[in-house]
Amino acid sequence: MIGEIDLAGLFVSPLLICMLVAFFARLVLSRLLEAVGLYRFIWQRPLFDLSLFFILLCSIFYVFRTFAG
Amino acid sequence: MTITKHHIFRSLRIVATLILAIIAALALWHLYNYYTYAPQTRDGKVRADVVSLASDVSGRIDSVAVTDNQIVAKGDILFTVDKARLRNALQSANASVATARATLASAEQEARRYNALEGVVSGQDRDLRRAAAQEARAQLSSAIASRDLAKINLERAEVRSPVNGIVTNFQLRPGAYATAGQPVMALVDRDSFYVAGYFEETKLSQIRPGTRATITLMGEDQPLKGHVVGLSAGIQDSERSASSNSTLAGVNPTFSWVRLAQRVPVRIEIDSIPKGIALVAGRTATVTIDDEQAGKERAQ
Repeated sequence: MIGEIDLAGLFVSPLLICMLVAFFARLVLSRLLEAVGLYRFIWQRPLFDLSLFFILLCSIFYVFRTFAG
Repeated sequence: MTITKHHIFRSLRIVATLILAIIAALALWHLYNYYTYAPQTRDGKVRADVVSLASDVSGRIDSVAVTDNQIVAKGDILFTVDKARLRNALQSANASVATARATLASAEQEARRYNALEGVVSGQDRDLRRAAAQEARAQLSSAIASRDLAKINLERAEVRSPVNGIVTNFQLRPGAYATAGQPVMALVDRDSFYVAGYFEETKLSQIRPGTRATITLMGEDQPLKGHVVGLSAGIQDSERSASSNSTLAGVNPTFSWVRLAQRVPVRIEIDSIPKGIALVAGRTATVTIDDEQAGKERAQ
């Protein structure tokens, strides 16, 4: 279930990679939302961004778990 | 009218953001639980029993029949110790047996003769001869035992594999001296491979003997199947030290706020190995307990 990712002989927990991916995904998503103008409907932007990051992290982790066994 | 609309919009904003925050908190909680309680460890090792093989007799090593990493079966000759001395010892023991036998024959004959001369020789003389014959008989059995020992030594000069194993880290060459009881080579028991998974104690409640486990070796794609045989019964208490000059417990006086879950070895028997995977004692393994059973128990 929780596999390992091989970075040139360094085996790291996939959560680390998921975190990196989620970080950049959140950046991109925030830009998009800003362009669309969705941030008008948001109360506290930092809180929203943080929540977005964790939700993305969890989703990416489950996607990874399903596909990478 | 405009104020109400503004108010509704404002509270909607707050509610939407909070809902998202709550979802995020739940996701985080789930991830945390998964990482803390999922019965899985990245810290497993393949292990095997290793026989530190020693010669039973001392002597110069005469011939070596195996090479490094060779697979051997139980009973195969691994190396032989120089037999010249041992053969000599057997010869000497044979001679001792022959001597003892001759002595016995003569002593018995004499005893018989003295026994026939009742009334001619004293009772004491006859008793002495009978005792001498008995002594000679005992000497003979002692000599036979010595000869058997010499035979055993000669047989043991051929050192045989006690297990189905693999020769490893082998450096023995003819001419080296083997001292009885001193290990000269290592033999990995082929039938004894198992995986030790070091599980944090927070995960132990989900691990029962018989539970299926999936083992992934580092660098291999195909998993091995296994099952839990049992938990270790004890690990060392790191808070306690054995002090040299006291019979009382030496307890570490510092106690940290941060406590770490102790890890406990769990023994996992390997049921099936995919083709092409080399089991090497010491390889790193990731062990996952297939938690159907454990999940059921948790739900109850």
